[in-house]
Amino acid sequence: MTAPRTIAVGYDASPDSESAVLWTFHNAEPHDSVIIVHAIGLLEHLRTTPSHHEMPPRLSELARACGFDERHLHWYVDDGDACSALLRAVAPPINASLLVVGSRGLSHRAGLPLGSTSLEVVQHATIPVVVVPTSYASS
Amino acid sequence: MVLVVNGPCDDSGHEDPGHPERPGRSIAARSAIADLHLESDLITVAPRAASRAELLLVHQGNYLDELGAFCYDGGGDIDQDTYATYDSWSIAQHAAGGGLAVIEELRDRNEGVGFVVTRPPGHHALRDRAMGFCLLNNIAVSAAALSHQGERVLIIDWDVHHGNGTQQIFWNDPNVLYVSTHQSPLFPGTGAAGEVGGWQAIDGTVNIPLPLGATGDILQRAFEEVAGPVVEHFGPTWVLVSAGFDGHRADPLAEFELTSGDFSRLTQLVASLAPRPGRLALFLEGGYDLDALRSSIHASLAAVLGVSYTTEPHSHGGPGVDQLLHVRHERRVAVETLRSLEAQEDAP
Repeated sequence: MTAPRTIAVGYDASPDSESAVLWTFHNAEPHDSVIIVHAIGLLEHLRTTPSHHEMPPRLSELARACGFDERHLHWYVDDGDACSALLRAVAPPINASLLVVGSRGLSHRAGLPLGSTSLEVVQHATIPVVVVPTSYASS
Repeated sequence: MVLVVNGPCDDSGHEDPGHPERPGRSIAARSAIADLHLESDLITVAPRAASRAELLLVHQGNYLDELGAFCYDGGGDIDQDTYATYDSWSIAQHAAGGGLAVIEELRDRNEGVGFVVTRPPGHHALRDRAMGFCLLNNIAVSAAALSHQGERVLIIDWDVHHGNGTQQIFWNDPNVLYVSTHQSPLFPGTGAAGEVGGWQAIDGTVNIPLPLGATGDILQRAFEEVAGPVVEHFGPTWVLVSAGFDGHRADPLAEFELTSGDFSRLTQLVASLAPRPGRLALFLEGGYDLDALRSSIHASLAAVLGVSYTTEPHSHGGPGVDQLLHVRHERRVAVETLRSLEAQEDAP
């Protein structure tokens, strides 16, 4: 049996990040911990109904549908851009051993190097990274 | 005393409808300057774009290429906060060059105070990445140019957000001392007290994270008691200020309780750190409530120029006194640890 892993998944409520979460639920071992990392940007402060306080019910539903034990599923919010927040997941308090990210974020253009969270995470990460294609959820 | 201002630079092409980082900010800043009625004491320098060589001192070439190409392709959202338009590349180059133009003028005159009224702001921009509304790191471009010429540059960053880009760029530069007060926790999530600089510049970064609700008296104590001794030991030949006014209590992006009166006092404090006349320049960073931005800039410049003005009373009594003790402890431990490790590395 392999040692339990801590898997950090970038999530911004986009279909792309949902694909990343779905891939993680499908591929995590039962004893792995899955940390959903949600980055809080500058503009989040302008929203009258902040989106970040609690894990969206949709993710719990996905976990149940995939047979992933919800007790091993955690929600973590971090101030910063999505790339920086995910890269920091390597350090305490998360200490992730694997990062999972969708191939595009909420606001990024397809194929654009600039601002691509996945490309930047891959370039700067010190641990393995899984980039999940947008098509994963539909497949 | 003269005020040296860059521009006017037309930044109206860098706009995303509904976004708080908008051209109205420049208009508010210029209005604050006009209200000073400086007449012949107002020196307006011509705008100029930073050259590629000047930008390469702080940014990676492939990032500059990508950003330029992205803009010429029409722009769009870069991340959840940051946008660019077709005009943004040119505007950002002029924002970065504005500081250089002001510094050249101050150096020639050996008198006055500089104010760089440019946008987009810059202190979140990393070597290889835009973020936090910032495309190019304007203050870093000026500081790097000065450092390259052998100057010792103090950067004071009182924007309510930590200037992660500026910190990253000068992490290992012993000729640049970076001092930041900022709300924590808050975007961008960096700026812990234990971040004190890299191996080549131990104690070259001073981070003073403060709780939400912090008032002007706390920020003043932070600069005087925590940063003061480090600044004195560093001995700057230039003082550049990342002057963000989003710590004002009316600002929608953060939760400090500062008033325009507090910014006037902070400006006087940083002016006292400049080694001689003509060695202080303020760079506009954040500030998203236009009335607060205008009144805060006006009070800041009036105070340092000796122009009479009325302003909001100073704020006081907010949280953060205990945090200052914690920051001093964390910094001391981090610096001593790094120096101890450095000594072990150097031992035969």
